[in-house]
Amino acid sequence: MKSDFYHEISANRFKSGVIMVFFIAFVAVVGYVFGLANGYGPSWGLMAFFLSLLVAVFSFFWGDQIVLSLSGARLADKKRDFNFYTVAENLCLGSGLPQPKLYVLEDSAPNAFATGRDPKHASICATTGLLTKLNRTELEGVISHELSHVQNYDSRLMVITSVLVGTVALLSDWFTRSLWFDRHDRDEDNKSNLGIIIFILAIVLSLLAPIIAQLIQLAISRRREFLADASAVALTRYPKGLIAALEKISADYEPLETANRATAHLYFVNPFKGKKITGMFLNLFNTHPPIEERINALRTIS
Amino acid sequence: MYILLVLPVIIAVYLIYIYNQFVSLRAQIKAAIQEIGNQLKRQADLIPNLIGAVKGYLKHETAIFDKLTEARKNALAAVEEGNAQKMSEASAKINQVFTPFKAILESNPEIKGSDIVKELTMNLSDTADKVMYSRRLLINLALQYNTLLSTIPSKFIGQMFGFKEEAGLKTPEGQSDWLEVSSTETTTPKVDL
Repeated sequence: MKSDFYHEISANRFKSGVIMVFFIAFVAVVGYVFGLANGYGPSWGLMAFFLSLLVAVFSFFWGDQIVLSLSGARLADKKRDFNFYTVAENLCLGSGLPQPKLYVLEDSAPNAFATGRDPKHASICATTGLLTKLNRTELEGVISHELSHVQNYDSRLMVITSVLVGTVALLSDWFTRSLWFDRHDRDEDNKSNLGIIIFILAIVLSLLAPIIAQLIQLAISRRREFLADASAVALTRYPKGLIAALEKISADYEPLETANRATAHLYFVNPFKGKKITGMFLNLFNTHPPIEERINALRTIS
Repeated sequence: MYILLVLPVIIAVYLIYIYNQFVSLRAQIKAAIQEIGNQLKRQADLIPNLIGAVKGYLKHETAIFDKLTEARKNALAAVEEGNAQKMSEASAKINQVFTPFKAILESNPEIKGSDIVKELTMNLSDTADKVMYSRRLLINLALQYNTLLSTIPSKFIGQMFGFKEEAGLKTPEGQSDWLEVSSTETTTPKVDL
């Protein structure tokens, strides 16, 4: 049982590395095809590559700062947030991780997120709703879940992914616009079959790009939530705490005010849970697995 | 031809890597034992403060005060000795006495309203958690170290440099490795924002 679990961690870490490489390649290829279709040649691919690299490097070093300042969180205080502060301290003691910076977000919806490029530059943020509604054991479950994201380098991948998704969306937006406005000027001297094929391919890509990027983002965060739950239990050895926390939070129907599409996957539970999102993609575009599935997975561990 | 040159380099690099792992794990184990000592000392030092704060209200409970003081002395002696096993047993003994004591404190309305007592009990429970988590870290590190020492090929390198097996910790029989907390104790203190 236990060795299965550790095997799962290493397998998932490998897979997430593959996804990351795939993502960067995807951005470059999309840029390349866009460039060919527009008649600018392969230089566009290079441009897209460097642009995404630049954005990725920026998000690598300052992504956590951006996310935190956007959310408007304050630093946690040992006296004021005793349980939050000491629970994080204890879990770090047990796992041998360095102590992350702790932030409190003024919001009555119970939620939390972790960010930062590695365990030495990590931050964990909890809402006041989480701190007041959960007891110490439940809080321990949630914080160890967030610490697991830090430990597994999920927080790095998540920040980078959200910026890459943004880049792809920007790129395809840019392309679709340039396609409709510039295209007819060059129609006369570019009538070869290859040009048409690339043109069609580019249209398909421009439609697919945001959807694929979105789906990759979801695949990453959904599987990662299960993994983080499992590692959290390995740390606290007390699945009941996390189960109780998930049950309490799922009974709470308040949406988080500061979350948006780009930061949704960072959180402990889906911040949009209270809002009704209808449509055929409802299940596909959910950033988190259903809470009942997470609870069931935890029950099989205990 | 080249393999004759490359092979010794690879072996040397591997040897250095494994040796460093042994040394680093041993240092971490030592630090973890020290951490248990630090936290246990903190836990022990909170006891007289707590007794001082509630003694006035609980004149008839001298027996439990004596037990707590004795557990504290026992803990300080274990810290002095620096033996991880004895320290974790001493901590378990404190918790054994502290749990019924907490129940007494909670049942007394006068004490329950006191902020100082609340803060001291919170800190005492927290240090108990800290001892538990540093114990857990020690158990994990010792496991890693001993696995390295007993598996091939790192085993040969360990033997070559005379690394000895680390004792780690025994979990007391029938006692789970986490602390159950009562619901009254875990209700979050009101935060004024």
